[in-house]
Amino acid sequence: MIALYVVAAIAVFAAIRAIIEKNTGRKLPYANVLNFAVAGALVLLLDHPLSLVAAAAYFVGSTLESNAIASTYAGGVKR
Amino acid sequence: MIAGLEVAFGLIALAGAVSAALIRDSYGKLISLGILVAGVLPFIVDRGYLDVAVTVSLIAPIATIFVLMVARREES
Repeated sequence: MIALYVVAAIAVFAAIRAIIEKNTGRKLPYANVLNFAVAGALVLLLDHPLSLVAAAAYFVGSTLESNAIASTYAGGVKR
Repeated sequence: MIAGLEVAFGLIALAGAVSAALIRDSYGKLISLGILVAGVLPFIVDRGYLDVAVTVSLIAPIATIFVLMVARREES
């Protein structure tokens, strides 16, 4: 139970820092911390075998999203 | 869910929604959209709709990638 509180506190802190930060390059690591914390919270919230699948899907999806934003922000593919 | 956790994740979702409405930069807006989804998803999982959670967490990045195509085209 204490792990859930720790993970939620990390998620709130990372969300506030990601919103307050002005520079986009500094926003992205805090958004990643938020995504990892939420993926951990999804496993701990519900005691069901499929919650592992939900957390894995969220982990894959959020990592894909962050990588797409970061690679576009860095300039994308040079043609 | 425990009341403190409801407050925490609701705060994350509301902060993501307000910042997505207010931020002018397009990349910052997309990051705020990700924060909004991250705040909403624990409520879906807590009710037990795990198939809905899997679908949302796989479709939201695809929507972000489609919006990114528009953002990149506007810049160049």
